[in-house]
Amino acid sequence: MKKIFLALTALFLSAPAFAAVGCDLNDPDRDVARLFPGSTGYRTRYVSIKGSGGQPLLERVETRLGDKFKGLYETMDVPYTLYDIYKGKEVIGYIHGVNQKGEYGGIQVFLALDRAGLIKSFYIQKLTSRAARDLRAREFGSQFAGLALKDFEAYDPVAAKALPGSAPEKIKGPAKAGKDFAAVLRAVKKNLILLDEFVFSKKEK
Amino acid sequence: MNVYAIAYKNLLRKKTRTALTAGGIMLSAWVLATLLGFNKGYQQGLNRDIDNMGFQVLLTAKGCPYEAATLMLKGGTGLRYMPESVVKTVFQNPEVEKVTPMLMHGVFDPNKGENGAVAAYLGVDAQSFPPMKPYLEFKQGGWFGSNTALEAVMGYEAAELETREVGDKLLIPGLDQEITVVGVLKRSGTQDDGTIFLPITAVQKLFNREGLLTGLGIKVKKEADISALENRLYDLPDVQVVSMAQVKTTIMNLVNSARVIVMGIAGIALIIAMAGVINTILMSVMERYAEIGIIKSMGAMPLDVFKMIWMETAILCGLGGAAGILLSAVTARLSEAAVRYFLPYAPNGALIALDGQITGFAFLLIVAGGLLSGVYPAWRAARVRPLEAIRIEGEQ
Repeated sequence: MKKIFLALTALFLSAPAFAAVGCDLNDPDRDVARLFPGSTGYRTRYVSIKGSGGQPLLERVETRLGDKFKGLYETMDVPYTLYDIYKGKEVIGYIHGVNQKGEYGGIQVFLALDRAGLIKSFYIQKLTSRAARDLRAREFGSQFAGLALKDFEAYDPVAAKALPGSAPEKIKGPAKAGKDFAAVLRAVKKNLILLDEFVFSKKEK
Repeated sequence: MNVYAIAYKNLLRKKTRTALTAGGIMLSAWVLATLLGFNKGYQQGLNRDIDNMGFQVLLTAKGCPYEAATLMLKGGTGLRYMPESVVKTVFQNPEVEKVTPMLMHGVFDPNKGENGAVAAYLGVDAQSFPPMKPYLEFKQGGWFGSNTALEAVMGYEAAELETREVGDKLLIPGLDQEITVVGVLKRSGTQDDGTIFLPITAVQKLFNREGLLTGLGIKVKKEADISALENRLYDLPDVQVVSMAQVKTTIMNLVNSARVIVMGIAGIALIIAMAGVINTILMSVMERYAEIGIIKSMGAMPLDVFKMIWMETAILCGLGGAAGILLSAVTARLSEAAVRYFLPYAPNGALIALDGQITGFAFLLIVAGGLLSGVYPAWRAARVRPLEAIRIEGEQ
């Protein structure tokens, strides 16, 4: 009763709140089928760092990423849209997208992962770049297939440096991509870490 | 014991019945106050939205989609232009205080989504546009330095979507042209939130539209006759006049039509509540027939009995009315959310404006309605003949 009263009080008395911008698939029915062939359905959930662990989780994510969340728009209260992918009644994987600051605009990077955390598909939904066409090309995206979080753990997004011989080092960026290639790699690492925190680590616990 | 205390105690004798009747009155008061508040709030919001546009009349080339949303729907096509010389022609009218020229341009960006999307840019005059939009405040930076600068000011949502801050670059799709962001606006709750503003001359040059405009915002002098100005503007060749006053009138006409129906429902709710009051008080009088007879036999005059019963009605309606108005204030946000969900267009800001005037009026109307419905039961009670009342009670 007390909780209901508090919720109603909050609803009536709070000032209008504007949430930070999230990252949703434009057409989930079409995109899920395309990114996750063989799936029969999906369930959408919304998670945030603020709601899943707050400041300690933010610090952990930043440490694992090797970079701070920065700017006006990369904040703790950003709502992340997580799609649980189903085949029949069984969850067979996840699709998750993040916003990343690019050289000329926001980049929306989506990853489709199987239950083991391996990347099945890579999709840049939105991007403004001199190399936009190449970065969104199938050839570029296919380089991420089969990779997992462990492959990106040593990648340094601040210096945009990968260990010699590591998987990120082998990923070839388009010639004109410039800073946007590094931004895409940061987005992939951030995406994988968030998925690990929101999904895989929780399952292990 | 005075007549008020007796009336109050009488009401407490049948608590459930009193509570149910007061509940009915409360609901009527709630509906009435909410509807009156909505009427005022909607009109205020609409006025505010129109004022926030900064200009009362918008001139566009005939058939030109003058809003970014319409442009998007049309896939960035369908823009029509008028010559820049129209500025001088319009300024010749004595009613005109200020004008601000605008040029909208849409560029198809194939790298937005699966099938591409349109990026719209609004070219505005660095001198005349900002004073027309005094409500726009900056989160970062400020307006561009000149009309030729390759600079941009971004609405809050546009900047958020593109993760742009002051000093960042924008790239115009297909042009390979970099633009520097010099300002990010605070959220205004208007369509400006999703707009990317560029200096007008820069837009004309970038998109080869020199000497052309898609819109001209006109601010009219305070005492001027807008209709007379509009009639003269209609005579200009190949332009359409979008009158914000007309837009407002059209929306208000639609809302008024709906309001008549809703007010009718509120009226019915009020009548039902009044019938409930008559029923409750009349029942109470019948139950106390002998008691009223004894009171009268002890010297109470018909007017005293009338006052006592009428006072019960007044207390019932006063309490129910006050509770209803309190309820309307508490649930204003919830009602507002419901209205926004059902209405195709609702202005920004508070939609239900409850002030002293509205709540006072609703309260007085409820109490007056209640007192009116209390007249008959009070009159019946005042006419009770003492001996007859006592005899009937004795026979029972």
